[in-house]
Amino acid sequence: MTMADERMTDTDELELLFAAARDAAPVPSDGLLARVLADAEAEQARPAPALIRPEGGLLARAMRQIGGWPALAGLATATLAGVWIGYAQPAGLDGLTDTVWQGDAAGYDLVEMIPSLDGYLTEGGV
Amino acid sequence: MNMALDAQSEFSDEALLVLYGNGDDRAARALAARLLPRVLSYATRVLRDPAEAEDVAQEAMLRLWRIAPEWRQGEAKVSTWLYRVVANLCTDRLRKGRMADIDAVTEPADDSPGAEAQLQQAARLAALDGALAELPERQRQAVVLRHIEGLANPEIAEILEISVEAVESLTARGKRALAAALAGRREELGYDDG
Repeated sequence: MTMADERMTDTDELELLFAAARDAAPVPSDGLLARVLADAEAEQARPAPALIRPEGGLLARAMRQIGGWPALAGLATATLAGVWIGYAQPAGLDGLTDTVWQGDAAGYDLVEMIPSLDGYLTEGGV
Repeated sequence: MNMALDAQSEFSDEALLVLYGNGDDRAARALAARLLPRVLSYATRVLRDPAEAEDVAQEAMLRLWRIAPEWRQGEAKVSTWLYRVVANLCTDRLRKGRMADIDAVTEPADDSPGAEAQLQQAARLAALDGALAELPERQRQAVVLRHIEGLANPEIAEILEISVEAVESLTARGKRALAAALAGRREELGYDDG
């Protein structure tokens, strides 16, 4: 027998052994299957994992809605500017206010949109 | 039991895992029926200790149940992921040296009647297991996955987290070592009959 034949025979035998091992694969015992299924049931009963729940409280979630701290800083700046303009009334704003308001001269025209209630009350002639 | 979800069902492993994650307990039974035998077979061949292999199989399945709600579909095959968990669990146990002595455990003998052929088959399997146990751990895992579990090299590469070339090298060296270990036992194992 040559070396090549020898190796070939070894390989064939190995293949037979592997096939035998495949045929003789262990079958899970009923006990193991029961334990595995009990684990499955226990895991399924657990509450949903934490990462699905929104993190933080109401304030943190509201913050995320508007875009986090940078957005909040912008919001605070705008608020303060509005308060300052309201109290200080910078001179430059007077011109704008006059243009929109047109001074006291234009005034308001009071238009009666709803007629006096008296008309309805006298209608019945009571 | 609902027959539509048994081990032979048309559902993919991934679909079953998603069903399980969504609260369908029949999916767990179907997945266990399909994957537990493979996991147990692999762990048994690598560890050579039925009790340890059962522990590893149960632990691997537990990790599968736990990953279910977060499973990202389309990224990996469920079976590949599970084999990788088993490979790592086996590696941990082998490296901790908690395993029984390699000669101490043999396949349970099949003592059913009229069984000369079966006895010989048992002797062959014991010889294979003994020879596998002599292999370095990674070679053993690669050979078992390739030749007993019947997986393709790219999948084994994913499981063992090595390149396909490394898998080819491991299985080739493993087979050579097995052939050498069994070479002297041909007559004993009944391969010279014909």
